[in-house]
Amino acid sequence: MPTALMLASAAAEKTLEVNGALKVVELFGEGSGLWLTESVIVQWIVILILLVVVLILRHNLKPVPETRRQAAAEMLVEFVRDTVHGTMGAKYNAYTPYIMTLLCYIMINNLMGLMGLRNPTADVSVTGTLAIMTFILVQYNRAKTGKFKGYFKSFIEPLPFMLPFNIIGEFANPLALALRLFGNMVAGTVIGGLIYFALGNFAILVPAVASLYFDIFSAVMQSYIFIMLSMSYISSAECE
Amino acid sequence: MEMTPETMKILANAIVLGASALGAGTAMIAGLGPGIGEGYCGGKAVEAIGRQPEASGAITRTMIIGDALAETTGLYALVIALLLMFANPLLGNLIK
Repeated sequence: MPTALMLASAAAEKTLEVNGALKVVELFGEGSGLWLTESVIVQWIVILILLVVVLILRHNLKPVPETRRQAAAEMLVEFVRDTVHGTMGAKYNAYTPYIMTLLCYIMINNLMGLMGLRNPTADVSVTGTLAIMTFILVQYNRAKTGKFKGYFKSFIEPLPFMLPFNIIGEFANPLALALRLFGNMVAGTVIGGLIYFALGNFAILVPAVASLYFDIFSAVMQSYIFIMLSMSYISSAECE
Repeated sequence: MEMTPETMKILANAIVLGASALGAGTAMIAGLGPGIGEGYCGGKAVEAIGRQPEASGAITRTMIIGDALAETTGLYALVIALLLMFANPLLGNLIK
């Protein structure tokens, strides 16, 4: 590639940071192709934040809440428990911890854009991993409720010629789940980058409004949508 | 102007990059679909809440899921546009 084009594409990569997360260190020596990326490091920070918050919240709990800290923790747990109960039914209460983890983890990851870091969820490998976890749970639930026969029979329902469509639909769900979170987060990153790029040194007030929508509203909304869709995929995989 | 191999290479790259940018812009016409779909979804939800205000929680939850599903096609278009803009898959087809 000519030098001018290389410079132009490098500049685009720097200003917008959409060409994948920054690569920091290559693991296991050069040429192994395994990179420690910015997403991984930001996720470690998120895990640390969650760990500290959870340790603070569960410290010294009482049967009747006395502190505001405990009341807040109970509110959060009750919200997720009621959502799981309302969406998946009483049979699936055991999924509450998974859904809770997913909600908190994705939400904090999405909110990392406020700290000036790149959202780890604006990296398709992160959202893909989360979607694969849901995909495995869907398969597990189908195999558990339908046993061996029901699991394979569910693919030829309602009619045998639907088999290819059912298989495609089975893989389209996690793909759409991953791309939805990734697309929304990367759209926020790109539009934020474009606004800063266009305004240059006069970037006051306008980026704040955009950030309010993309970094806060969209971040919270997308984590909620992710858990709602995960729950409905898992519970609808049930065989009669 | 003399067409040296170097200039021809730059020209070929420029054409591919320009066409990729046009393709990315064209792909985003798909944004129409989710816009109409989500607007319809939101409008119906408002109607439903107007008729049954006590069910607003369940209606809002359903509306959000419907919005998210309607958004999918737009996001596929966005991914294609981003690929065309930043990954430049078509540049690899040029003769080196």
